[in-house]
Parts: sequence; structure tokens; C-alpha cells
Amino acid sequence: MKRRDFLKILGVGSVGTGLGYFFGKASKPPAAELIPYLNPPVDVIPGVANWYPSLCTQCSAGCGIHVRVMEGRAKKIEGNPLHPINKGKLCARGQASLQALYNPDRIKRPLKRKGDRGKGGFEEISWEEGLSILSKNLVALSEKGEADKLYLLTSQIRGSLHNLLDSFMASCGSPNYLQYELFQNRNLLHASQVTMGVNAIPHYDIANTKYLLSFGADFSSTWISPVSYSYAYGQMRQFDDGIRGKLVQIEPRMSLTGANADEWVPAKPGTEGVLALAIAYAIIEDGYYQGSDAASWNALLSGYSPKDAAAVTEVAEGRIREIAKEFAQTRPSLAIGGENMARYENGMSGLVAVNILNHLAGNIGVRGGVIPNSGGSRTIDYKNNITALAAAASASKVKTLLVYNTNPVFTTPKAMKTEESLRNIPFIASFSSFMDETTAMADLILPAHTSLEDWGDDFADPSVGRPVATIMQPAVSPFFNTMGLGDIILSLAKGVGGKVKDKMKWNGFSDYLKDAWKENYSKDKDMLSSALTFDEFWNQLLTRGGWWPAEQVKVKTVAVTPKSIEAHISKISSRFEGDEKGFPLYFTTYPHSSYLDGRGANLPWLQEMPDPMTSVVWGSWIEVNPMTASSLGIKEGDTVTVESPFGKIAAHVYLYPGIRPDTVNEQGGLIVGWIS
Amino acid sequence: MAGFLERITERLNIYREPGWYKKFDHKWTMVIDLDKCNGCGACVLACYAENNISVVGKADCDKSRAFSWLRIERYVEGEYPDVKVKFIPIMCQHCSKAPCETGCPVYATYHNQDGLNVQVYNRCVGTFTCATYCPYDVRRFNWRTYKFEQPLDNQLNPDVTVREMGVMEKCTFCIQRIRGAKDKAKDEGREVQDGEIQPACVQSCPTGAMTFGDLQNPGSEVAKLAKNPRRYRLLEDLNTDPSAIYLKRVMNDGAGTHEE
Repeated sequence: MKRRDFLKILGVGSVGTGLGYFFGKASKPPAAELIPYLNPPVDVIPGVANWYPSLCTQCSAGCGIHVRVMEGRAKKIEGNPLHPINKGKLCARGQASLQALYNPDRIKRPLKRKGDRGKGGFEEISWEEGLSILSKNLVALSEKGEADKLYLLTSQIRGSLHNLLDSFMASCGSPNYLQYELFQNRNLLHASQVTMGVNAIPHYDIANTKYLLSFGADFSSTWISPVSYSYAYGQMRQFDDGIRGKLVQIEPRMSLTGANADEWVPAKPGTEGVLALAIAYAIIEDGYYQGSDAASWNALLSGYSPKDAAAVTEVAEGRIREIAKEFAQTRPSLAIGGENMARYENGMSGLVAVNILNHLAGNIGVRGGVIPNSGGSRTIDYKNNITALAAAASASKVKTLLVYNTNPVFTTPKAMKTEESLRNIPFIASFSSFMDETTAMADLILPAHTSLEDWGDDFADPSVGRPVATIMQPAVSPFFNTMGLGDIILSLAKGVGGKVKDKMKWNGFSDYLKDAWKENYSKDKDMLSSALTFDEFWNQLLTRGGWWPAEQVKVKTVAVTPKSIEAHISKISSRFEGDEKGFPLYFTTYPHSSYLDGRGANLPWLQEMPDPMTSVVWGSWIEVNPMTASSLGIKEGDTVTVESPFGKIAAHVYLYPGIRPDTVNEQGGLIVGWIS
Repeated sequence: MAGFLERITERLNIYREPGWYKKFDHKWTMVIDLDKCNGCGACVLACYAENNISVVGKADCDKSRAFSWLRIERYVEGEYPDVKVKFIPIMCQHCSKAPCETGCPVYATYHNQDGLNVQVYNRCVGTFTCATYCPYDVRRFNWRTYKFEQPLDNQLNPDVTVREMGVMEKCTFCIQRIRGAKDKAKDEGREVQDGEIQPACVQSCPTGAMTFGDLQNPGSEVAKLAKNPRRYRLLEDLNTDPSAIYLKRVMNDGAGTHEE
């Protein structure tokens, strides 16, 4: 090589190197992303976990949680050990809510419908555009004087978010704020209102009871507050005083609680309420009730002699009297009722009967019995429900529907035609985090945060005999381009302007929440007695995960009188659709132990976790008694079709010995939307 | 040569002596009260979340390849209407005389100084011997590499290895939590306190049926529970000397007899 060529190559090479250097420099990510942990954020120490107290929103129990966060990512959810509801424990559903946060199927940014409704065509838009579309729609409604045709449908929400939504709807001029869930406890609340005059679901002190009579309440897996009651169940079984509590479960299909019961009483479906009244009758007749109003109780219960009830319920008379004796003589005893019993045609009557039992045995207001919760201000407009919404929608009385975290298209039966009626609504906006059947019908999707990214609070109902408030704080920063529901509402209020804007002056939902707590703090003498300034109190709230006063010794007593409940006792057992000849079997549903009404079905952990009673994974099944199956010539695993006057479903058969031969069963959580 | 063999036999004999594990630092033990257990499955999910256990999907579940290190065995006895159902949570029993350890050709599974039956993923070559020898059916094999779908992998616990194809895995009694607590105790110059270590299942158990602790510490909760007359261990006649102790369910017949 000549010297000249060498220099040429050298020159080209160095120019190339230089270009490469500048090009490389320009294409590299900014330096800030290269050295984050030399100057780490305040909370981050690599390899060391932070635990943030927050609130579990997988069901409405209101358990307190601790979220383990490492380097800005949530790793695990455990119960908050200080929390009076769940005492550091957490059920499978609560722990799996991590997979909702990091779910691949989450809606990652705002979407606008493209093409026909329900066809699934959506295009991505910015938050500014999404919020302006919705606020323009709301402005147009109020300009046309149709503000009352705005509807808001959410899941069961309590606390400050509920108040915010309530005042937003009120300032928009619409009374139509509905909460809908497939499995909610309205009947239970109503029963305690009419029998005890208490506007809150009472605390059932399972931990200290010695005889627990449960009418269908599957408190081990799904009934109102499963973690709280499971903890109490453990206490009841192996208590410090060495006396083991007895559990008697009355239900046609053996639930997880029934499987753990000492006695399982398979009463005929729909007759549990009659059985409860017959037990009450036996308590009076056999002289276990000493009250002065025994005669009027006797008159009230006259139609329910154990002998008559035995024919209806298919539980032997002797057994009814035996249960009555044990229930009245074991101290303290406790009767609870729920799940299917509350959902029959005469569900209210059954729950009232359970309260009568507790009154006759003297269980109300005693340790190990029913402890009324104070302070319930919740009033439920029982007429304002999903059926009313569907009716209004089909009558074109709904112009705009806002939906959050509830999926009526899936959870209501096809015969109700919810989907068809929702199609009449000109504009639907959804705040859902996931593409469900209702959200797929929306014109606009503004995805809200999951509970691990958002602010909030909750006042547990039922509580544990004293008020329990839980704070929800963001454990991680938003993972996708989503926004908290409270913030969406406040931004909407700004967009709508006028008096709506004047009423909703807060900059963000966290400010609203803090202001709401400032008010709670200034009003509540228990909170003030802690002798902290509000800022100290607020910090304590965030570090402890909530606020609850020390255990109260004084228990409120309430009376149940025959007069107050006469109107609520039904004279008949619940009826089932279809004549006995054409439809010889009873069909009942229950909430799936891990998906509830279907909301958990998108979480892989819950799918892979075997169902406790059947050990089935990844799917649904129909439970048939082996005797019935052999008489019908059905084998396990066969696909069968169950038909009712309303529709039919098909699924695999699971031979389940713990079910009455005249009953077949399905999980509500997976199949409801499929009933066609 | 003779000296070499002697050394090997001497070392082996140490571990064949009855009660050899008493020389260990700890004897981690789990006590499960079946009278409290209601079979809800919170422990199963806690285990999945803590230990980066793969979700295998419907097709592999049908081939019995689900990974659950902790499972709840459910036994149904009798016919309608006298149906009795029993639940028993079963995880690696951490046998003191573990059959699996004798089988492994590469010492991938061995006993550590805490009396734990440990699985070393790096050594495992997947001969399946341990799973064949295990009488409790608690060992799980990675038939293929299961991917954690993005962004679900953000949840993975950094304290626990993610396993790949060809490796055997099983319950570790949450050894990462044991190590963490021991390190913390060492830093603070003290012994590990009773109740300081809670494996994920024990921590989550809603009914409080599970208790974990050091059996060698006479003041520990497990040492007290292990003296309970309802105590039994699974397949005790195989002489595996398991570290998991079960307390029988009580029959409510008035006499308080225990279920067999």
C-alpha cells in the first residue's frame, strides 16, 4: 500500500468514526434514563421492597391490603395486619388483582368507536379529545333540557368517589346514578332495616359463637366479607376456651362452607325461608323462648308447624325440632342467611326469618351473636335498578349512559334483553379498564386506573361493630395512559363549565379526597381525640392504611317485634319457572368462587387455581348428582344442555355428590351471559 | 484410595445417623390445623404470586402439568345426603429422611443446614428420579419453558429464580423469606424471632390454619402445636420423617373425637 492510500483510508476512517460518534450520540436514549439509580427516586432502593397500605376492590368487603413495590413495580399483595376486617389475611381474588394491573388485555389509552356499534372497531385518541367529546355531549344534553336523560351506572362504590359521582350527577341535573352488581346484598340490608331498624348490615360475630346456623351463606368463599368470616371461622373452630363451635349449613347444593359444616341439611330449593320459620315455630312451641310476647309470635308463625314444613322442605320434623333445640340452648348461637336464599322470589322473607331466629334465641346484641353496626346512612332506592335502566333505555328515555366497572350485558340474562335496550341509547361512554361486553358497545372509552394506581377510600359495610375506613393510595404510578375515575369526572366538570364547574373546583381527585377527610376529621370526635393536627392525622391515615377506633365494649341492642315484620313474611315457598312435567329439575346458580360474577375470569392465576369443591380449572361445568346422572344416562364430562322457559345453556357435566338429586347447578360467574 | 473411600463413608454415615438433623441450626416446620382449614385456596394463589410459578394454560392442565407447588387435596366420601368432604393442603413435606434426595444423581436436591429439602435448579438435569421417589407427589417438572406474557412479567418476584425447561421444582418453604429474615437478624445481631418468618401461604391463610416456625426452639408456636394430640404426619409409616405436621379435624359428635 502506498503512503497516500494509507492516509486516504485513515482519513475516511476517522471521518466515519466521527460521524458514527455523533450519530451514536444522537440515537442513544437521554442520559437521564441511563443512570436512574445513581440518583434514585426518593422511595427506591434497588433490591429493597416498599410496602404501601391500600384498599382491595375485588369485591365489596373492603379489606385493607399491603402492596409490595420494588423499583416502581408492584410485586405482591398481602393483607394489612392492622386492618380490623381482614387482619392481615387476603383471599385468592384479592391477591390476584395484581394481574389486573399488569394485564395484557387492559385498555391502554382512550378509544373512539369506528364503524358500527358493537362491531369492535375502535381508534386511539388523546385524552384531550376524549374528554372534549364527552363534555360536549353533556353540554348538548343540558342545552336541550334533557339533562335528566343522562344515566351513570357503576359497580358498588362507597366513600368519597361515590360522593363525588353523586354531586357530579346532581350538578349536571340528573337523578339517575345507579349502582348495579349481579351479586349484591340489598336484600340483606333491607331485612336488617325492616326487622331491626338499623340502616346497615350487622356484624355477625362468628368468631365467638358456639352454634352457627347458616342458611345458604357461603361465607368461606363469596358471602359479603369472606376473609373476615373465614378468619372468624378459624377462631370459632379452635377457640381459646376449648369449646368448638358447631356449624350447620342449610342449602340444596353443598357449598365450600357446607363442605366444612358439621351438618349439611339439603332443604328443597326455595324452601329455606319456610324451614327457618318452622325452626322459629319449634323454639316457641317447645318452650325455649321466654319473652312476654311469645303469644303474638306464636300467632304470627302459626302456619309453619314443623310437621307442615317437613312436607314442603323435605327435612324431617324430628330434625327441625332438634336444630331448634340446639340453636336455642347453645349459648351463644347465631343464624345467618344469604346467597341463594336471599335471591329467591321470597328472599326477603327468608332473611327476615333468620332475624326472627336470632331474636327468639336472644342473639341480637350479644357477643357471639348479631352485633348491629351503627351509622349506616346508606339509603337505597330499590326501584332504581338495572331493570329500570333497561326499561328507560328501550323507551328512549336515556340519551347518554356512562358506565364504570360493571357489565350488565354479560351479567343479566339474555331474556332481559339488556343488550337490545342499550342499543337504543344514542351515546354510551365507558370508563372500564377492560374490553367487556358492555364496553364493546360504547362509543367512547376513557379507561380508568386500576385500584393499585388510584386514590380512594371506603367505609366497610358490613363493618365489624365499629366504623372502619380504608384509604386507597397509588402504590405504583400509572402503567398505561389511563386516568383515575375521580380525575376524569373533575376534568369533565371543567369541560362542561357553568355551574357544574363551580361546584367541582378541585384540581384532582387526591385534593378532593383530602378535603373530604378534612371534613370527616373536623366532625368526628373519635378522630379529633387522637390529638393530632390534620396533617399528622392524614400521614397516619396513609401509613396505617385507614382509620378505625379502638374496639368498643358497649354494644347497641335492638329489638325485633312481631308487629314490625308481619308484612315481610311470605306465606309461600319460592316458586320456580316452568311446570314440573316439562321441567322436572331445579336449576340454581351461585357466584363462582374465584370469578364471582365473571369479573375475575381474565386473570390467569384465578383460571389456573382449581375450584375448591370440584378441582376444575379453566372453565365452567354443570353439577349433577350421580344418582340423577345415572338415571338420565349421563357420564362425567358429557356435554349437556340445561333448558328453562327462559333459555338454555350447554356445558360439561361434573358429577357432584353434594347436591340434591332434583337440582342441577351452574356458576353464575361464567355462564350468565351465555344463556341464550 | 482407601482414605478417600473412608472419608466418603464417614460423611454419608453422619447423615444416616438417627436424629442427625438435630445438629442443624434450625428445623423449619409447618403445622396445618385441618380443623381450621376450609379449603378456600388463598394459600395456593399466594404461592403462585410469591414464587413466580408459571401459568401453563388449559391444554397443559389437562395433561396434569399444572405447577401448583401447594395444592389442596379434596376427598369426598359417602353418598347423598351423607356426604363428607375433607380438605388437606399438601406441599413439599421437607422430609428429614427424604426419598428424593437419595435418588438424585447430581445432588440437585439435598438437605441444607436449616433442615430444608432444597432444590438447586442449576444442577438439575431433569432425570425425574426425585419426582418418581416422592410419595407425596409434590415435585413439578418444567416440560417446556413457559413465558410470562408482557407486561405480566412486571409482577415477577426478583427474589425468586424463574425456571426453564428441563428443571424440577417444588415448594421451598419460601426460602427467600427465611434467608431474608436470617440476614436481617444477623445484621441486628440477634436470633430469628418466632413468627418472624411467614411463608406466603401461611401469611395469606384467612382462617389462620397454618403456622410456621422452628421446631428446635422449644418456645415457638409450632413446638407447642406439635404436641397437640390431634397431630399426625402424612404417610408416616414410610419413615420419611416429614417436617409438615397436620392436626386432625375434630368430629362434632359431642365427644370431640378426631377424624381418621
